[in-house]
Order: sequence, then C-alpha cells, then structure tokens
Amino acid sequence: MSDYPDMDEEYELMYSDELELMREVEDHSNTNPVLKKAFPAKRSLDFSSPSRPARDIINTPIHSTPVSKNIEDIQDDTRPYKRTAEELFGDIDDIDFDSIQLPSKKQKTEEENDLELINKILEKRRLRQMLNEPNIRLQADVLTNYCVKDNLSLNIPRWPFMPLTNDNGDRVYVRLESEDSWDISLDACSNGLTLHSTFASVWDEARKIFDSKEQQTTTEENENKAPEIPTNGNAELWVDKYRPSSYVDLLSEEPVNRALLYWLHLWDKIVFKKDVKIKEPQQQNKFSKRTGQFQLTNKWKGKKETEVDLDEDGRPHHKVALLCGPPGVGKTTLAHLLAKLAGYRPVELNASDERSTEAFQTALQSATLMRSVLDADKRPNCLILDEIDGAPIQTVELLVKWCTASMKKEEGKKKGKTHPLRRPVIAICNDLYATSLRPLRPISLIVTVNSVSAARLSARLSAVAKCERLSIPPRLLTALAARAQGDVRSALHVLSFCRARGKPLNIEDIENSSLGMKDCNKTMMQALQSIFTVDDNDANACLKTVQAAGEYDRLADGIFENYILARVDARMHVACETTSWLRLYDLMYSWTLRNQNYSLYGALPYCLSRCHSVLASRQPIRVKFPMQAQEMNRKKTELESIVGSVWRGSAPSVLAPRKTLTLDVIPLLPYLLSPQLRSANVQLCSESEKKSVTVCAGAMCDYGLQYVQQRGADGLYAFVLEPDVHRAAFLGNVDRVKTSPAVRQAIAQEQQLEMIRRNDQMMTKNSKKKKTKEVEKAKSEVKLPNHLQRLQPKTVEKTTPQVHKDFFGRIVPLAQAQKQGAVSDAISSSDVFYQYREGFNNAVRRNVRMRDLL
Amino acid sequence: MSLWVDKHRPKDLLKLDYHKDQAIRLKSLVQQSDFPHLLVYGPSGAGKKTRIMCLLRELYGSGAERLRQETMHFTTPSNKKIEIMTVSSNYHIEVNPTDVGIYDRVVIMDLVKNVAQTHQIDSSGQREFKVVILNEVDDLTKDAQHALRRTMEKYVATCRLILLANSISRVIPAIRSRCLTIRVPAPTEDEICSVLHTVCKKEGLSLPPELATRIAKISDRNLRRALLMCEACKVQQYPFKPDQKVPEPDWQLFIKETASMILSEQSPKKLSEVRQKLYELIIHGVPPDMIFAGLLKELVRNCDMAMKCQVASHAAMFEHRMRLGNKAIFHLEAFVAKFMAIYKKFVEESLGDAF
Repeated sequence: MSDYPDMDEEYELMYSDELELMREVEDHSNTNPVLKKAFPAKRSLDFSSPSRPARDIINTPIHSTPVSKNIEDIQDDTRPYKRTAEELFGDIDDIDFDSIQLPSKKQKTEEENDLELINKILEKRRLRQMLNEPNIRLQADVLTNYCVKDNLSLNIPRWPFMPLTNDNGDRVYVRLESEDSWDISLDACSNGLTLHSTFASVWDEARKIFDSKEQQTTTEENENKAPEIPTNGNAELWVDKYRPSSYVDLLSEEPVNRALLYWLHLWDKIVFKKDVKIKEPQQQNKFSKRTGQFQLTNKWKGKKETEVDLDEDGRPHHKVALLCGPPGVGKTTLAHLLAKLAGYRPVELNASDERSTEAFQTALQSATLMRSVLDADKRPNCLILDEIDGAPIQTVELLVKWCTASMKKEEGKKKGKTHPLRRPVIAICNDLYATSLRPLRPISLIVTVNSVSAARLSARLSAVAKCERLSIPPRLLTALAARAQGDVRSALHVLSFCRARGKPLNIEDIENSSLGMKDCNKTMMQALQSIFTVDDNDANACLKTVQAAGEYDRLADGIFENYILARVDARMHVACETTSWLRLYDLMYSWTLRNQNYSLYGALPYCLSRCHSVLASRQPIRVKFPMQAQEMNRKKTELESIVGSVWRGSAPSVLAPRKTLTLDVIPLLPYLLSPQLRSANVQLCSESEKKSVTVCAGAMCDYGLQYVQQRGADGLYAFVLEPDVHRAAFLGNVDRVKTSPAVRQAIAQEQQLEMIRRNDQMMTKNSKKKKTKEVEKAKSEVKLPNHLQRLQPKTVEKTTPQVHKDFFGRIVPLAQAQKQGAVSDAISSSDVFYQYREGFNNAVRRNVRMRDLL
Repeated sequence: MSLWVDKHRPKDLLKLDYHKDQAIRLKSLVQQSDFPHLLVYGPSGAGKKTRIMCLLRELYGSGAERLRQETMHFTTPSNKKIEIMTVSSNYHIEVNPTDVGIYDRVVIMDLVKNVAQTHQIDSSGQREFKVVILNEVDDLTKDAQHALRRTMEKYVATCRLILLANSISRVIPAIRSRCLTIRVPAPTEDEICSVLHTVCKKEGLSLPPELATRIAKISDRNLRRALLMCEACKVQQYPFKPDQKVPEPDWQLFIKETASMILSEQSPKKLSEVRQKLYELIIHGVPPDMIFAGLLKELVRNCDMAMKCQVASHAAMFEHRMRLGNKAIFHLEAFVAKFMAIYKKFVEESLGDAF
C-alpha cells in the first residue's frame, strides 16, 4: 500500500496541474491567497501589466462551495493512484488535462479518461453556472457567514478542504462546506413557510429572503467600496474586466478549446525541447481503433487522430492556427488565454498596427526569433495575428512563405536570411473565406469558434451583473442574451451602458430599442424569405430585414420571380398590386441612377416591403434565387452580338440601322437563304434555280454571312451559317427553315465564287483608274519639251544567240528546245522576271485574272 | 445579285415610286445647290434613307454612292475608349450615335466638329459643305440633343446635318426649329402593291394581285418588309399562288401567340407562361414599346368599346412608365396582369348577366 498516496497527497496529485497553473498565474500578480486575480492580456510587446482589483470573484475557480464536495467524492472513487513524481510536478506547460490523472494503463482506457475529464470540466462549469445564477445566491449566503478562523487553515485541517498556494509558496487550506450547510441555511430562514404553500410560492419566498439578505450585504459593501466603483467603471471596459482568466471560465465550446490547446502543445517539442506525450504511436492506434465508441465527445478527437503528426522538424504540420468566427465570441481571449496556459507569452499584432509587408516582417522576426530581455519572464513568444482577414494579401503571402520555409540547415545556409518558424502563430479572422486568406487556409489548422449559446451567455451576464451589483431580472438578461445573438462583447457593452445610464432597465428597452442590436447584415435570400412569410411578432421585421440586406435590385428581381406562386390569386389582384409596387420601385431606382440623386434611395426598401403586405402567407414557400433577369441579359447580349456581327459584316450599300436589321431583315433572311432546289447538284438545276442560288449567294455576301464547315458531335462535317442568323431570327424552335446539306454546300460554293467575283470587280475598278492615270501621265510626258527631257540610257540587246541549257547546264540541241518553244515564248513575253544570282529565270509567274478562271 | 430591296432601290429622285410631289420639291430644293439642315422623319420602311441618298446623288453626283465603312475611335471624358462604325463617301458621313448608348454626346460633339471644321481644300466644282447624316435622332439622349443644337448653328457654313427619326415627338423643340422637317409617310397598301408589281416585272416574274395585297397588308405598310417578304415568297415557292403562305417575321407571330395565350386563360399560372414569352421577345431584341403596341393591338380585338378605352389607357400609362424605368419586363407583366384582371372581371360579369 505504500505505493498509494494518502488523502492529502492525493489532493495535491489531483490538482497538481491546476495548482501549477495558479502558481504560474499568481506569479505575476499580488493578490491575496484566496482570491485569484484576473490576468490581463498583453496587447503588444509592452510588459507592464496593470494590476487588478481583487474582487473579481467571478474569475476565480470557486472551490469553496459545499457542492463541490460531491464531485470530489465521485472523483475519489475513480482515481487511479499510481503516479511518478515527474508526472506530478510537470513543466510549466504541463496543464494538459490529460495529465491530471495519468492512467495506470490497465485500469482505465484512454477514452474513459477523456470522457471523465470532459465530464469533470462540464461538471465544474455547471457548478459555477449554478452558483452564478441569480436565484441561487449561495455565495452571498456563504459570505455572510464567513469566518476566517473556521474556514482557513495553514495546516492540513480535519474538515474537508481545498488547498491553495500563494505566490510565496505558502499553502492555505480553505474549508469546503457540505451540502447540508445549504439546507441548514435554507431552513434557517424558512420560518414562515407552511405546507400549504406551493413550491413556487415557497421558492419566491426563499428568493425574496435571499434578495433581502444580499441587498443588505451589497449596501454594506457599497459603503466600503463606494468610491472605488465609478473610477473602475470608467477606467476599464467590462469586456476586459471580466475577461476569462482560467480555462474553465472560457465561454467557447469545449472541443474548440481542446483543439487549439492541443495544437499549441504540439509545439512543445521545438519550443521547450520536450517530447509531446500524446503522439506516441501506440496510443494513437488505440484512438483509431476505438473511435466508434466516441459518439459524443470525439469531435476534437477525430481531428487529433488525423492531424497528430509532426513534420520532420518536430513542428506540427499546421504551422498556423486560424481561429475564425463571428465577432465578439471571444476568439482573441481564447487565443491569449490558451497561449498563456501553454506557457507562452502572447504577442498580439492587430489591425491597428501597421501591416505593410516590411512592418509585418519585422514584427514576425521580433516575435518569433527573439525573446524579451527586459521582462523578467523568459517565456517564449506566441504570435497572435488578430483580424488577419483585413490584412493586405501580400502580408498574408509573406506569412505563408514564412511558415512553409523548411528547417533544413542546408537551405538555411544557402538562402542565408530565411529563418524557419519556430514559434506558434495564431491567426484570428472573422471571415474564413476572405480572398486574402486563400493562401493561408491550406497550411493552417482551422478552428471555428461558434457563437455562444444564449443560455450560457445569460448565465455569464448574470454573473457579471452580480459582480457589478446591478439588479437585473433574469428575464431581461435572457432577452439581452438572445438579442446579442451570441456576441458576448456586445451584450457586455449593453450591460455596462445600462450601468452608466443609472436607470433601471426594463424589458421594452431591450426589445424595442436598437440597444444592443448588432449591425447585422442579412443575405438577400433571407430578406426574400421574410417578404414571403408572415411574421407575427414584429410588423416591421420585413422592412428591417430588407434594409439590412441591401441589394434592392436583386431583391426586386427575386420578388418578381417568386410572387406568382406565393398566393392564391384567382382575380389577379395580387399580381396587379405587386407589380404596381415593383413598377414604382423601378421608377424610383432608375430615376435615382439617372439623376445621381440619392434622396429617394431611402424609400426603395419601403416599396419592397410593401410587397410583403400583399404577398406574405403562412404556408412556407420555397423562394428561388433570382436568376432569370441575369439569364435574360446573357442571352440578350449573345443574340445582340449575332446581330452586331451581321451589321458589321454587311456591305455599306445595304447597311441599315441595327433596329431595322433585327426587326425586318434578319427575321426574313433564313427564308431568303433557303432556295428550293430539285436536285442538289447545281449543274443539273434549271436556269431559274441557278439564279436563285446566285441571288442567295449575293445576299450572303451583302450581309457578310458565310457557310463554315464545322465538325458536329457525330464527327461529321456540316456547313453552318456564320453568324447564326437562325438563332436571332426565330423564337422558340430554331431549326425551322433549314436547307439540306447538299444545297448548303452548293450555296457555299457559289458564295465563295461571288466573293471572288466582287473582289475582282473592285480590283479591275482600281486598275482601270490606274491605267487611265498612267495614260494621262504618258501624255504629260510626251508633252514635255525637248530641252527638259532627260536622256535615257538605251539598253543594248545581246546579239549572241540564246543557248538552251538543261538543268545540269548541258547545252540542249536547238531542235529540242524549239519543241517547247511555243510555251517558253509565251513565258518570256510576260512581265515578271525573277533574277537569281546568275542569269535570268523567267519560268515563274505571269498574270492570271480570276475572271479567266470563273 | 443582291436582294430586291437593295437591288431595286431607286437612285434618282425622279424615279421614286410614291410621294412624287415631295420628290419634286426636294429636287428643286437641292437645285439651288444649298439646303438647310433637314429633319426627315417617318415610320421605318417608308423610304427616308432612300430619299436622302437620292438627294445626295443629286447634289454631289455619283461620287456620293461610293461608300466605305470606317470605324472611328473616341475617348470619353472619363477616358473610356469607344468606337463607332461610320459609312462615308467623299462628300458625306453617316453615323448612328445611339450605337454607343449613353456616350452618344461624345460622338456627336467630336464627329460633327471634326467634319465641320475641315474645309474643303478645293471648293471649285464641289459644294462648300459636307453632309452629316445622323440616324435615330429620336433615341438620342437629351444631353446629345443639346450638344447638337449649338453645333448646328456654329458650323452651318461647312456642314449640313440630315437627321433621321421615326417620330419627332422625342426630338427637342430647339432642334426641330433649326431644321426643315420633312415627313415621309409610310406608303399606302396600294402603293406597296404597285411597287411589288414593278419589282416583279423587273425580275421577270408574275405576281398575282391577291398575293400582293396580302403581302402589303401583312407588311404593316413597311416597304422594306414587304419587299423582303415578297422575295421570301418567291424563294419558297415559284410560280406564285394567290393563297401562298407568306413568311412573316417570327417575333410578330410570337406576339400574336402571346396575346392569344392571355385571352385564353387568366390565371397566375398563365401569367408565368406569358412572362417566359415576354422574356423571349426581349431577348430577341424586340423593343418593349413594340411589344406593348403589338399586344394591345391583338388584345383589344376581343374587347367592347368601354373596355377598349380602359385597356388602351392602361397600356399607354404602363408604356410611359416603362420608358422612365429600366426593367421593361416589370411593366410588361404589370400590363398583362392588369389586362387579365380587367378581362376576367368583364367575362365574369357578362356570364353573370347571361344567367
């Protein structure tokens, strides 16, 4: 039995980690041993930590409660007893909850441990919630009965206790009260109760008594601390004041916290030169084997399994943790707290700091490569990049480059300047899918922090209210929490605003005013849905949603496309009414755009929300996203481009304005271009048929149309009219008046001939002009008087008889040459000669006119 | 061998087929070798452009017929590059400023100034002015029209403007007063018939008079359309038969179809079908006002007098609103819905009376 620790030791063992943590936290503060101080977040490299008032009772993990005895008992049963000293007094970062109870492997499986651990945390949380709830004011009660002598001890006392350690290393044992004391206190004040009264009335009675008691205490305390409160209220935002200071205080969900903490621990190897326990391959296998059993709690576990690996440098694969979530849910707080828990010093870089690439580079270097010299604590830095979705994309790219740089020494030598990342970096953003984050997403561990549930938020609000001695009915707090939509920050701000106003808050204030309402933007679809559904609670809800959504134009399209099926409308009155509002909207909107005068812009949502009164119904309707208008525009431009190409291609002599082209010419062109031929072969056709083909070809030339060979889907080539007049001409069925392929081919041929003919005509026209000009020139030359004429050198013709040579330079007998004479003579008389390096060659070219070939 | 419309287009003022007295007046106008700015208006297919080309030929000789296409580039004050296609000869330039949409003012200012500021180098044997033909003046933005009015006065020495429009109601009065307005009415059906006959005669074809009158009727007094339809008839089937099917522009048929749909049933379901048809029409570039006109024409046939007035007034109002707005489809559908409501009420009442 000597292996097993006694009861006292066991307590220490149990809470060794937390004690460690507390010690760590308390190192920086000078609180009294009982009340722990809130730990301020460091916003920059500045190390002066403001001291905090000691009465932040809310932030201390409360152990001095009678109820916690219970868990303690439960834990006693399940506690594994064997431990090693090393595990008991782990390193500074050793607050991973796994180490609270290291398993004697046979007794407990991993999962059970984890399960138990989570249960424990949840239990603790529930406890605190219970305690903080305004209707169970036990704490106040306890405080009234408070007596130092009875409840604190420096030695290990006989009564149930909770050990605490202060910064001097002194250990203090605080009394834990049993559950009975609660009952006793209840009994004490329930003198007036009888069995006749119902539970509710009894409860009310009890509550009243508690309230009166508490008020008593508050007045007492107010007397003591009256001057302190206002200065405090002014100096600090409540958000900072009541920032969670310990893991159990966190409002974010457990799996989220765990995931981030686990990731931070993965850095231990490279930062603290210490092996990370969880990644032993054995255990990993165990995990994967038993995932099936973890339906409830394996949310983060699944992640753990897949991403447990470190890379070859001992760094986690994800170099950056990307926290994302809506504003005000405590992402920054979470990051700071967990970084601190894991033994880092958080260094924050946010949107208020300069984020150009240079500034960012220096910040990165100073944060990840250096450590503070001035400050006493020698913790490594953990860089927290807040609001990174607002950073310029170059900065994010720099970060990505920084993170992905390998640690291999050779590379480092080569490049000289690249320092690989050796410290964890946590990036925080609201919009995970911001374009600037695109490069960052693949390399980072994405942790989504969801908005806090209304119940938890209201519990926390009530705790804060109590701390501030604001008496706000719980109903109101619930309303406020619902209003805040999970945004802790805004809810706290509202509370603090109430306090500053000094007037008691009533429910109408919260429901009706814009107090605490976030500048919410709704999507267009939400607005559309709200238009088509009846909202009983708020008559103006639709208008508000529409205003929040913006995008009026799209919304108008949406109404237009969905209104027909919204209501039963036998007499078409609904349609008339709706379209009249839509028309009004259209008028105002185009007036606004045309005159660039936005005075009427504010009235646009009213037009749209008026449709709500006409269209809203109780039966759910599936609204469709408005696509038709865009689709129409797309098709219209497509067809317009066809008309445009016809218009551009048409000859100047037939050029008509585009409108007449679309309305008159193009609709009839397909008829004109489909001559009726009896046979496909043009040669066999009658004279009139041939003529119709030529007319057709002529028309095609006029309007710049062409038959183009295109390979169809079946692999056959087909003649296709280009541009596709048929599509522009016909509505509905496009392939109505189409000629047979053979006729098309005939027309295509004829059209090409026609083109050549026309070009030729143009050429001859031009050349005729030239010729006449030349003649004129010649005449003018002749007219020149003798003295102005220049003598031209006369070329002397060669008298040597021409010797025919063949290709190899051999002399060909004359008779043979003369056989080819007829041809060669014709060639030698032509205009064009090509001169080669030696001699002449006239075998090349002569003028052939197109019309000779046609 | 081009289409009949282009092939048989008269090239001389005296050879025009109808509005002959007007042609004579035009000729005498030009014979003084000068003329004021002209504003020629009339429905499409009435022969405005033909007359103008004849006029130019009278003025400048056959040189005005040698046309070439050019693309001109402009830069708007906001540094947007736009280009526009022009047709020009040595003596005139024709442009359609509405092609560039809202930037038409830039085109008018730059182009007219350019043309007007260049004097003819050798004015002997030529006119001392050039002619600028502007198409579709009634579709110009107000800005462009105002830009035009100053230019017209300033450069009157070197350039004459010929403005073409369908209707002068949308031309600002300032421009109207600066021009000699010439109205070219659409040819009557008889005139169209006679034109068709002469063309067929020239082509060596025999056209039955019944077919000619039918074509003239369908063509909506649009001579271009009549000639095209006649030729299409010929291509489809020759020799002509009096009861031959005349190919019509598809969009016209489509409007008629839509109207009959509206009359057949008045329900939201039908309305959504009609909407698809309207979309289709708009996609094919049929101007919404023509859709309005076509629908009204077809719908009114089945109405009694009181209802006719009601429907027509609604159509007018909706069409006016449509011009002020941007989304034509809203207004078109509003009109259809309104008509359906009115018509349904009418039908129900008349049924109620019957019982």
